Amino acid sequence: MLLSADKLTKFFVSSKTERFCLWHDVNFELFEGESMAICGESGSGKSTLLFALGGLESVDSGTICFCNQMISHHLNPHIPGISYIFQHYYLIEELNVLENLLLPVRVMGEKVDTGVMNRAHHLLLELGLEKFSYQLPRTLSGGERQRVAIGRAFMMNPRLILADEPTGSLDEQTSLRVSQMFFSICQKFTTSFILVTHNENFARQTNKYCRLEQGELKRCK
Amino acid sequence: MWTLKLALHYLFPKGRMGTFFTWISIIGIALGVMVLTVVLSIMNGFDKTIHNKLIQINGQIKILSSSIIEDCTQWMHTLKNFEGVAHVTPFVQGIALVQHGDYVQFPRCLGVDEKTVQSVLPLRSFVCSGDIADLNQGVFVTKGLAQTLNINVKDTLDIYSPLSLEAIKRDEVLLPKELPVVGIFETEWAEIDKNTLLCSLKILQDLYGLNNGIHGFSLRVKPGTSIQQLCLKLNAHLPKPLRAYSWMELDTDFLYILKLEKAMSFFVLLFVILVACFSISSGLMSSVVRKTREIALLRIWGAQRWQITALFCWQAAFLSSLGILLGFIGGMSVLHYRNGIICFLTGLIFPENFLWNFYSFSKLPAAYAWQDFALIGGLTVIIALLAAIIPALKASFSLVARSLRSE
Ligand SMILES: Nc1ncnc2c1ncn2[C@@H]1O[C@H](COP(=O)(O)OP(=O)(O)OP(=O)(O)O)[C@@H](O)[C@H]1O
Ligand SMILES: [Mg+2]
Repeated sequence: MLLSADKLTKFFVSSKTERFCLWHDVNFELFEGESMAICGESGSGKSTLLFALGGLESVDSGTICFCNQMISHHLNPHIPGISYIFQHYYLIEELNVLENLLLPVRVMGEKVDTGVMNRAHHLLLELGLEKFSYQLPRTLSGGERQRVAIGRAFMMNPRLILADEPTGSLDEQTSLRVSQMFFSICQKFTTSFILVTHNENFARQTNKYCRLEQGELKRCK
Repeated sequence: MWTLKLALHYLFPKGRMGTFFTWISIIGIALGVMVLTVVLSIMNGFDKTIHNKLIQINGQIKILSSSIIEDCTQWMHTLKNFEGVAHVTPFVQGIALVQHGDYVQFPRCLGVDEKTVQSVLPLRSFVCSGDIADLNQGVFVTKGLAQTLNINVKDTLDIYSPLSLEAIKRDEVLLPKELPVVGIFETEWAEIDKNTLLCSLKILQDLYGLNNGIHGFSLRVKPGTSIQQLCLKLNAHLPKPLRAYSWMELDTDFLYILKLEKAMSFFVLLFVILVACFSISSGLMSSVVRKTREIALLRIWGAQRWQITALFCWQAAFLSSLGILLGFIGGMSVLHYRNGIICFLTGLIFPENFLWNFYSFSKLPAAYAWQDFALIGGLTVIIALLAAIIPALKASFSLVARSLRSE
């Protein structure tokens, strides 16, 4: 089993005395290579759940295990094997596309050798970005930038990708293209992913399609 | 070393010659460093000129005694053979009352030995008119004294020695000594130029009734000998009333004031750099706020807190280093063309030769000291790093999840 959530509960403090429950009793299991989608209204707590699953946000009760290790007992932003994709790309504007892909490798303290370079070039090719390798992110369109962000997420050989509305800022057609690319790359590398999205069509293409409603995670498929 | 590389990219993004913030910060630091370099170097120049002048006037070492030194020739011999001593000359000093027509003055008198004095004090370079070889035939007066006494070369001067006071007590009259003025000199040291009379040892010995006695010796040391060390050795050997003083000891107060002045200028001008570093601090802070999501990503990829801190400290270190470099280059260029710049600036407001006429110096002295450069550079980097600390800590301690949510 890759990731399991057991009876997760999250409270937020709304005022001095009041707490409200964002979600409770969230249970699910995700196996290696499986994908999952979380839909829900705005403010239902999808991003919070995603961050909690990646160890960025604390939970008030329940346990999260990733690769048989408990990660819910303390906050740790860096969990090897987990990568993120965000709605607003968050590329480093000062670096070109290739350097953006290589930066996570460098930060992890690994040497940028030919193997890493090959992987970067392979990903760029796969994402149709090879001709943009030496361009700065600000010279790219939204769809191209998101493809760079997807490539960057795959640079670290992740076992799980947490994607928070990756197509949220893109138009319909571009969304379709980018998400198809994302799905196919995940399949190719047999990488699991959890996708938070408003788009039901994308959600239905995953193995597990859930909705977060009234604080509960309900399985729809 | 990705922190170093990324810091450089933040300051100099690909395809651009640095951001506005980069250059404003560098220029701020450079201006501060430049001003400090220029001011300190010019102060060094003045110090050096003053030191040289003090040595020219006093000699490198003076040996003084609380009583009159009688066996002059024997001491001359002993001192000359002392290790490290190159030349020795005896002197007599005191005051006298001089009169020319209706003008009366109390100049400081210096009696020197014509034969040996040139090897210790460069008297010839001070002479405005006359020949130092004529010292045994009359007196030299400074330009200032010549003006106040309204006297010129070949005029005669009446000199009353302090002995005439003794004579008056005994109801005797000691006639003044009449001596011709054989030359006029100027040392460019105001205290001396105002009111000094120079004559031969013999004349002053007669005037003071010293017979063969003298008041002290001036010494020149052999090249490469430490003046202070030699002074210590001399003092260990010389009998009680005799004591050796280096030129620095003779003017301790004055030299201390010079040092204090330099330290104060340094302190005040350091504020320019301080202000420049405040701008670095605020610039970095806004950069931290702008990049809060990227920083969160770096943390997700495994960057430690100290690495995030380093990322911003590197930027401050770079900005300050470049600023220091440019500041040194700018400062040295200004110093190199200082006289041209001053002439140009004064030429805009005043007629030509203004400086020469009013301040009687045509050139601003300047001297570089590597200690000054090291101090300026070191302090600037330290202040810049301190300026970076708050933004750097803010960056490294911001919460990852909250940073990623902020839009
Ligand atoms: N630190 C916090 N303290 C209190 N409330 C918070 C905090 N963080 C988030 N919330 C609240 O939790 C709720 C869920 O936020 P979240 O970002 O998870 O929603 P979401 O489902 O991702 O919405 P969207 O689809 O708009 O992105 C929101 O109502 C938000 O105001
Ligand atoms: Mg969200």
